[in-house]
Parts: sequence; structure tokens; C-alpha cells
Amino acid sequence: MSGVISLTSSAGASPERSQAITIYTGWERHALVGSDVRLSCSFFSWRWISDDVTFSWTYRPDGSRDSISIFHYTGGEAYVDNKGPFRDRLEFVGNPGRRDGSILIKNLDFSDNGTFTCDAKNPPDIVGRPSSVRLLVFEKLPIQAGVITGAIIGVVLGLLVLIVVIYYLMRFLVARRVFSLNVSKHGKKKKEGSQQRQGPAPAADPSKVKAAASEKKKQESRKDKK
Amino acid sequence: MFMLAGIVVLHITTVILLLVATIDNAWWVTGTASTDLWGRWELTSSDWHYYNLQNYPQDYLQSVQGTVVLACVFTILALFVFLAQLFTLPKGQRFIFTGILQLIACLCIMTAASVYTAKFHTNDDTKGGYGHSYILAWISFVLTLLLTVTYLILRKSE
Repeated sequence: MSGVISLTSSAGASPERSQAITIYTGWERHALVGSDVRLSCSFFSWRWISDDVTFSWTYRPDGSRDSISIFHYTGGEAYVDNKGPFRDRLEFVGNPGRRDGSILIKNLDFSDNGTFTCDAKNPPDIVGRPSSVRLLVFEKLPIQAGVITGAIIGVVLGLLVLIVVIYYLMRFLVARRVFSLNVSKHGKKKKEGSQQRQGPAPAADPSKVKAAASEKKKQESRKDKK
Repeated sequence: MFMLAGIVVLHITTVILLLVATIDNAWWVTGTASTDLWGRWELTSSDWHYYNLQNYPQDYLQSVQGTVVLACVFTILALFVFLAQLFTLPKGQRFIFTGILQLIACLCIMTAASVYTAKFHTNDDTKGGYGHSYILAWISFVLTLLLTVTYLILRKSE
């Protein structure tokens, strides 16, 4: 991207000069054995898409130094690998008119681990750095860093907030006499603010019991003050 | 008065110890490395380098991370709730809400330290030992337990 920005300052010189093209793929793709994976490749170029736009994908297996070419799109035609490790498994799913040169690899195996490099050219913009995506094939998808951590923290804090909200909601509703817990033997008492009827509280859940207990203690302490 | 100040100081100390145990990567220490829970510091030719944790059981590691962070959060929450309840609780009442929060924090740090003891470094006890963060985690467990009991027994006076 910085290559494009630095070249715009010299763009006014001659409109036929080629400018840089920037190619984007993912950084890493994780997939399960036997599944399909879509390797996306797109590019940025200042010009309109020409009819001679080309995409090509090469593959370098892990631990090897040689790359083989597995896909080429040119002149409006897509040519897929028909001799190499990806024969009958490669499909072109991109849309060159929308700068998309993605390919689909089906039925993955452990031998497909490696680096896939996409090179796109949009004549006359041909100066660009090909971009690589690393494919990792797993038998079982590993747990991503922080998923369980975040889940534990989020669930517990969410439960805490929920319990506090429910506690205050129940107190509010009982004070408004929407619910009636138990009829008090001493009749209604007029106090400032919220009240709660005395009497045996139903042992439904511990928060309600504690609420009733603390309310009882508050009323007793207020009575003691008098 | 002094008891109140003592409890607040103890609580703040517990918060600090828990934060150190959580943040400092020193649950397991060898001659050239200091590791867990978030990364691994290795000493190579008098330079310390930071690496990601490899080959750890991810589910247990992340559950220790989650519970130790929760212990910090609940202890800090309990401190603020205690200070709030100091002003709002009627006389003669116990600090129940504070005690409950501190109890959850105690359970969390106990879970974290226990899972770590049971599931990590069970085979390489000759190469290193537990570091200061691990020790502080267990000390924080004792302190949070003490504070829980204090808050559930203490009654508000004056």
C-alpha cells in the first residue's frame, strides 16, 4: 500500500507509465482434513481492469524450496492444475472483473500444507510483490488463543450482573406490591422508601432469602432504634 | 477504627498480590526461563526474549487464565463494594455482598492455582520450580479466604 502512495506523487509525469499494483491474500488459513478451503486473492490498482489481467497461483510445499505453478488466468480463460498434486481438486471461484482471483481447493490432505503465492498483473500495472498465504491442515481445529479465557470471564461477569439486576428488580417489584410475598401478621407498616412484608420468606433461592433476611434485620434495627 | 484501616490495608494488599500473580510471567521458573501464564521469557546469552507458549494443553491454560483474571476482578469489586457499604449499610448489619464477592474471588484463585498444580509441569520437576507468581497465588487464596470470613462475620458499628 505504501508503494502505491509513494508513486502517486510521480503519477503526473506520464499516464502510460506503469504504476504499482498491490496484492492481498490472507496470512494463514486453517482447515480440517477432507474439507474445502477458499484461498482469496485480490489486488489494488489505479487503473481500470484491462482485458489482459492475469492471476497466477504457485504452491510451495512445507520444507521444500521449489514452487510449482498450479493456476493461471489469462485472456479471459482460467487454466487449473491437471498434472500436479491438485489435479481435479482445484476450482476457480474468483471474479476477475471484480479484481478477485480466488481459488477453491477441495478434499484437503496433510500433504497440502504449504505456502500458496498469488501474483496478479493488470497491464500496464505489472510492478507488484506477490502475496503469500500459508495453509495449515489440521485433524482437529485447535482452540484459538483466548477463546476459553474470554468465555469464562464473560459468562461469570454476565451472571453476576444478571443476578444483581434480578435482585434489585425483585426488591422493586415487591415494594410496589406487584408480587405479594406473605401477608404480615402486624399489618402494613408505613415507612419511608421501600418496604417488605415480614414473615417467613419462601426459600426459593438464596438471594431472595438473603434479601428477606437483610430487610428483616433492617426493620428490626429500625424498630430497636425507636 | 484501627480494625477498619487494617481490613482495608489487607484488602488492598490482596489486590496487589493477585495482580502480580496474574500479570507476572513467573509461575514456573527454571535456570534460564520464566514462564506462564501468558508467555515465556527465555534467557539466551544474557538477553531475555519473549516467546509464546507452545505445547501446553490449551483448554487448561485458558481456564487458568480466565479464573485468575476473574479473581482479580472480584477482589477489586469487593473492595469498592466494601467502601460503599461502609456508608450505606445500617448499623449492626453484616457486609454480606462484599463477603459474597470476596468468596467468589477466593474460589476463583483456588481453582486457578489447583488446575495449574494438577495439569502443568507434572513431569519436569527436576528442571525448575514454582516461581513467585505461583506462591503469591496461593498466599492470595489464604488472604481472600481470611477476608471472606471477616466480611461475613463483621458487623457494622458506629
